[in-house]
Amino acid sequence: MSLLEVKNIRKSFGKTEVLKGIDFSMEKGDVVAIIGSSGSGKTTLLRCLNFLETPDVGTISLNGKAIFDAESHTKTSDEEIRQNRLHFGLVFQSFNLFPQYNVKRNLTLAAELLETEKIKKGTSQYKSKKEAVEAISKNADVLLSEVGLSEKALAYPCELSGGQQQRVAIARALALEPDVLCFDEPTSALDPELTGEVLKVIRELKNAGKTMIVVTHEMEFAKNVSDTIIYMADGVIEEAGAPEELFENPKSDKLKAFLKSSFEKI
Amino acid sequence: MKKILALVMACLLMCLTFAGCGSNASDMEYVKEKGTLVVGITDFEPMDYKKSKDSTEWIGFDADMAKLFAERLGVKVEFVEIDWDNKALELDGKSIDCVWNGMTLREDVLAAMDCSQAYCNNAQVVVVPAEDADKYKTAEDCKDLQFAVEAGSAGEDMAEANGFKFTPVKDQATTLTEVKAGTCDAAIIDSLMAGAMVGEGTGYADLTYTVGLNSEEYGVGFRKGSDLVAEINAFFDECLENGKMMEIASQYGVQAAIITK
Amino acid sequence: MTFAEQFPIVFEALNIGFLQTLKLFAVTLLGAIPLGLIISFGSMSRFKPLSGVVKTFVWIIRGTPLMLQLLIIYYLPGIAFGNPIWGSGEAGRFVASAVAFIINYACYFSEIYRGGIQGVPVGQQEAGQVLGMSKKQIFFKVTLLQMVKRIVPPMSNEIITLVKDTSLARIIALQEVIWAGQAFLKGSQGIAGQLWPLFFTGVYYLAFSGILTVLFNKVEKKLSYFKI
Repeated sequence: MSLLEVKNIRKSFGKTEVLKGIDFSMEKGDVVAIIGSSGSGKTTLLRCLNFLETPDVGTISLNGKAIFDAESHTKTSDEEIRQNRLHFGLVFQSFNLFPQYNVKRNLTLAAELLETEKIKKGTSQYKSKKEAVEAISKNADVLLSEVGLSEKALAYPCELSGGQQQRVAIARALALEPDVLCFDEPTSALDPELTGEVLKVIRELKNAGKTMIVVTHEMEFAKNVSDTIIYMADGVIEEAGAPEELFENPKSDKLKAFLKSSFEKI
Repeated sequence: MKKILALVMACLLMCLTFAGCGSNASDMEYVKEKGTLVVGITDFEPMDYKKSKDSTEWIGFDADMAKLFAERLGVKVEFVEIDWDNKALELDGKSIDCVWNGMTLREDVLAAMDCSQAYCNNAQVVVVPAEDADKYKTAEDCKDLQFAVEAGSAGEDMAEANGFKFTPVKDQATTLTEVKAGTCDAAIIDSLMAGAMVGEGTGYADLTYTVGLNSEEYGVGFRKGSDLVAEINAFFDECLENGKMMEIASQYGVQAAIITK
Repeated sequence: MTFAEQFPIVFEALNIGFLQTLKLFAVTLLGAIPLGLIISFGSMSRFKPLSGVVKTFVWIIRGTPLMLQLLIIYYLPGIAFGNPIWGSGEAGRFVASAVAFIINYACYFSEIYRGGIQGVPVGQQEAGQVLGMSKKQIFFKVTLLQMVKRIVPPMSNEIITLVKDTSLARIIALQEVIWAGQAFLKGSQGIAGQLWPLFFTGVYYLAFSGILTVLFNKVEKKLSYFKI
């Protein structure tokens, strides 16, 4: 059984249909890269997975259990949506760190709020808030060292470079231990010399066996890090497959043209 | 949006239409029922003022008469300082029951409220710097002066009637400030007020008043259609007869101005 | 009366007047700060009739002079319905002034809040959402402080304007500090024709707005540790 299964996702904004029936699935530990020109719908797809947009049609299943079904969605409570969201993590193009909190607090805030609620309901693995806070803090320290920012724990986002901010954002997303970690063009807002440090972190996450979906413009990176590449154009998956296959032998004309222009730019 | 606007306008119109037709009971019953006669005043020596900074009690010729009138109605009296420009609004809004503050019975006053018979004479006088007093003995002498007058006052009427050049200002006190500051040459104010505020021992020791321009009369103002007007006229007649009015007037030095018929 | 004799009398009267000014200032802030938030939520509501009504109301209040609103609020109930709900005395005039000021300032504040709320990038809210936070948690833990940082400069402007605007309440005979100062022009407590007490009220306004400026600078400094 696949970890994630997306079936016939459709989404329109007004009269514009941005996603015209998306189907794909991925296994645990897979890294899927989504490429395609801007406006092809890749970011919208990612936002649908994170419940930031609500698809008009389609289903999303995780471990065989439907966590989204467009037909019954209106009956789903906000609380359930919140729960389902936690299966996914999202790293934004523009980082979106909380500016008023220091790096470590950015990592611990959501987790603490969540555990506090759980403790009240009696569903937490921790006995007391104090115990939870300690565990969350320890976890945050581990994550910060993984992204190489232990010494910046007490710094505020405005004191960090773009690359450092994005690494914090990745650690923040990991703090809630999502089943699937999504990246929305994680290096697009960065100066070229800063993209390397972020890509390195993502590569390390792959080595650690994390399941990830990466929307990216970095062709070289997509090729090296992913198990599967999905090429999207005009709201549909035009072509998908193993990276070597896709890059060496593109079948559709659109992909050929896209690859040509992408590599020309470099 | 348009509908909302229309609704707001309609509400405003309704309010204006109903203006003044709120009460069914007579005004005297209304005052007796709430047990207090609210008198609108300004700080105006010798009519309504406080003896010292520590006293909370209003005294003066008008204030003392108002206390007697309230006693006659069998109600308490309450003095409320108002903005003089808004006296008709205060009456209509029922935040006061009468205006009793050396109010000149001018046309606009008579149009806006129902007034008692005149109880006190007053004149408008020209105030000039004391050193120039000799130069201005008649209205004719004053032709070339620049005057300060209270906007909408009897003084303004006089300035107009005499063809003077004038600047209307906020209140009578301001006219004196204008003269003192030299921004105007002369002011026209009530003689009663001039008596209290101008000359030796006052804040305007270097000013004096010379020419009297006309004679005018003071009355007490009530809401339109109020039955308290008849009551106060009877009260004034009574007080004139039993000498009470003169007694109080002489306490405040205004006995010469009282209208005795 | 010499200046030395006048001064203590005037000083005491101005103090009493300024106490009224301060009371009106404080009560207005206490009422308008939360009411403004409610109005801003109303004007941002996706329910069109509600946001329409609220926006029209804000337009009327911001589009007419506060002095006129004071006159209408104080006098209209008595004139239109024969029911002077505020009463005649100074206490009633104070309450009417406070109501007019609270409504007026709440409308101005609501627009500042709206700018502050809408100025927080959507990404902040989305970041909270994908981290599983509830709407309430996002507002209080993420958006609120960023909003506060955004609105402190325009709010401090508006609040310092309020200090001076309180003098408008004298139109319905609220005896605040300007009224107290003017009394000595016309004559009160044996002092007449004195202009200096009126001018001297400026010292009160200056001192108070000076204190406020220092306070707001402190708040701004406190919030300067992060950038938005």
